[in-house]
Amino acid sequence: MARQAWAVVRKDLLLEWRGRSRIVSVLLFGVVTLLLFSFAIGPDSVILQAAAGGFLVLALLLSSTLGLSESFRLEQEQRAIEGLLLLPVDPVALYYGKCLSNTLFLMLLAPVLTPVALFFYNVELGPTGFLQLFGLWGLAAAGLSAPGTLYAAMTSRLQSQDVLLPLLLFPLVIPVLMGAVKSVTLVLTGDPMSQIQSWTLLLASFAIIYWSLCGLLFPHAIEEGS
Amino acid sequence: MTDTKTNTIAVRTVGLGKRFGKQWALAHCDLEVRQGQAVLLAGANGSGKTTLLRLIAGLHKPTQGELQIFGLDPQRERLTCRESLTLVGHEHYLYSQLTALETVLTWARLGGGDLSTDQIRGLLDEVDLGDHRNQRVGGFSAGMKKRLTFLRTKLENPRLILLDEPFSALDTAGQQLIEEWVDGYKVAGKTVIVASHNLPRAALLCERAVYLKQGQMIWHGKSSDMVQQMGLAS
Amino acid sequence: MSQRMTRIHLFGLGGLLLIAVGTFLGLFVAPPERYMGEVARIMYVHLPSAWNGMLFYLFAFGFAIASIWQHKPKWDALTVGCIEVGVVLNFLLLLQGSIWARPTWGVWWDWDVRLTTSLIMLLLFAGVLALRSFVQDAHRRATWTAIATIVAFIDVPLVYFCVRWWRSLHQVQSTPETVSSFMVWPLRLNAIGLFLLTIWMVSQRARLEMIRHQQEQIDEPARMAPVGGLENV
Repeated sequence: MARQAWAVVRKDLLLEWRGRSRIVSVLLFGVVTLLLFSFAIGPDSVILQAAAGGFLVLALLLSSTLGLSESFRLEQEQRAIEGLLLLPVDPVALYYGKCLSNTLFLMLLAPVLTPVALFFYNVELGPTGFLQLFGLWGLAAAGLSAPGTLYAAMTSRLQSQDVLLPLLLFPLVIPVLMGAVKSVTLVLTGDPMSQIQSWTLLLASFAIIYWSLCGLLFPHAIEEGS
Repeated sequence: MTDTKTNTIAVRTVGLGKRFGKQWALAHCDLEVRQGQAVLLAGANGSGKTTLLRLIAGLHKPTQGELQIFGLDPQRERLTCRESLTLVGHEHYLYSQLTALETVLTWARLGGGDLSTDQIRGLLDEVDLGDHRNQRVGGFSAGMKKRLTFLRTKLENPRLILLDEPFSALDTAGQQLIEEWVDGYKVAGKTVIVASHNLPRAALLCERAVYLKQGQMIWHGKSSDMVQQMGLAS
Repeated sequence: MSQRMTRIHLFGLGGLLLIAVGTFLGLFVAPPERYMGEVARIMYVHLPSAWNGMLFYLFAFGFAIASIWQHKPKWDALTVGCIEVGVVLNFLLLLQGSIWARPTWGVWWDWDVRLTTSLIMLLLFAGVLALRSFVQDAHRRATWTAIATIVAFIDVPLVYFCVRWWRSLHQVQSTPETVSSFMVWPLRLNAIGLFLLTIWMVSQRARLEMIRHQQEQIDEPARMAPVGGLENV
C-alpha cells in the first residue's frame, strides 16, 4: 500500500510540475486576498500588524480550497480515477497518496504568501520565526488536506463543486483555522506565556484524527458500489 | 451457454440488472463464461453492452441479481477481482500532461511493480508508439490513445480481459494489432469478452456471441452463426 | 392505520402533553431565577432544545455508521430524519440563546463557547443536508450523507475545545442539584417531552424518506422472449 501511495504522490507531483500555471494562479489569488484584507481594514498599521496572523492564515485557507478542488479535476478528466481503481490501486493508498500530495502543494503556499503578508502588514520576523511559521503551516496543511481530499473527491463529481467544497470544508476546519491563527499570531507578536504548544497540539490532534478517519471513509466515497 | 474447454467459470451472472435513475440499462442478464472462452457482446447503441462490462469490472453495483468473477463477488472482493481483470473501455484513463513513457511507468508503479526504460520502450514499440514515447499524451490522436490504453492488458497480466469497442478509432494496422494480441491471450488461456459494433471482425475473434437489445439478452450462440444470420458474412 | 403507526403518534401526543405541563409549570409555578429574574424562564425551552439537538445529532452519527455498514434505506432515512430535526432544534437553540443574551448581556450575539459551538454545528449539519440535495443517485446519496455526518460529528468536540480555549462567557452548566427543585421539574418534563416529540418528528421524516425511496424504485421491465434468429434485428 505504501508503494502505491508513493506512486500516487510521484504522479501528482509530476502533474503539478507540468501544470505549473495552477500553483502560480493559486499563489496570485492568495496575494490578491491579502491585499483585499488590507483595503477592508484600512491603512492603520497598528491594526494591520495585530491582525497579520489572521489575515495570512485566512489567505492560505482560501487559496488551499482552490488548490484542493483542482486536485481532483485532473482525475475527472478522462475519468482517470476510474483507471486508477481498475489497476487496481487500493483506494486507501490512493487517498493517502493524494492527501500527501495535497499537503505538499499547500505547504508551497506559505513560503510565498508569508513574506508578502509581512511586507504588506509591516511585520518583522527572524529566521527562527520563519521556520516556526512553516512548521505550523505544515501541520495546518495536513489538517486541511485530510477532509479536503475526501470532500474534493466527492464534490468533484457534482455540478456545484465550487460552492459545496467550501461550504462543507470551512465549518469543519475551524479548529485548524483557530489553531493556525492563534499560533501564527503568537509567533509574529511573541509568546510570553508559552501558549503555542497548546495550539500546536490542537493542530496535530486534528490532523491525526482526520487522516485516520478520512482514510477509512474514502473507499466508500469513491466506489459506486459502496 | 457453456463449453467443455475448461471447468472454471470466469464470469457468472444470474438475473443481473442495473438501473440508472429511472432507466434500466440492463435486466434479466444470465450469462456464463468459462475460463479461456472468448465471447462477443453485440447489440445496438444503448443495448447494455458497456453497462455489462462495467458491472463485471466492478465499477457499478448491480441493482438486481448476482454476479461472480472467478467465484468471487466483485463488490465484496473488489481488489482481488480487479487484480484478475483489465477493462479497456471508452475512457482512456490518461493524464494529458504525462508522456507515453511516464504513463506506462506510472501504471507499472501503481500496479505495485516497476519497469526499466528499456522495458517500457519495448512495450511501446509493440503498439507502434515507440517513436512517440516522449510525447505528451494530450497530443495523441484517438487511435494512439487507444493503443496506449491497450498496453494495460500486457502490464496487468489479467485472467479476464474486457474490451469495449476495441476497434473504434483504429486504422487497419491498429485493428490487426488488437486481433493479434487477443489471439495471443486466447492461446494463453485467458478469458476475453468483447463488446463491439464491428461484428465481422469481432466475431472472428470470438467463438461465442450474445446479442443484447434494450438491455436484455435475446440471443446467444456461435459467433459464426450470428454473422451468417445477420447477413454480414463477406 | 397500522398498530406501529398508532404507537408512534402516542410519542408525539405524549411529548406535547409533557411540554404543555412543563411549560405551564415553568412559566407560572416555578420561581424567577435569583440573578436573571423572569428572563431566565427561557431556559425551560432553551436547555431541552440544546440537550435534544445534541442527542439527535448523536443518533444521526449512530445511524450514519449503520448506513455505511449495512447500506439499507431505513438507516439513511433515520440519519436524514435526525439531522433535519437536529438542525431545526439547533436553529431554535441559537434563536433562544440570542433572545436570552439581549436582556442579560446587552447584545444579540456574543462569542460565548456554547453559542459559538452551536452555530458551527448548525453550519456543519446544514452542509450535510446541502450536499445531500445535490446527489441524485439514491445509493450514493445515502453513502455520502453518512460520510459527511460522521466527519461532521467527530469535529464537534474539537470545535468545542478550541472555542473554549478561545473564550467563554456562558454561565456554568446547571445541574439539578444546583437549581431549585421547582425549576428541575419543568426542565425535566420539557426535556423528556421534547425528546418524545422529536422521536415522533424523526419517525415521520424517516417515513417520508422511505416513501421517496420506494417511489424511486422502478420495477424491472418484463423479460423479453429470446429470438430464434437474428435476421430481423
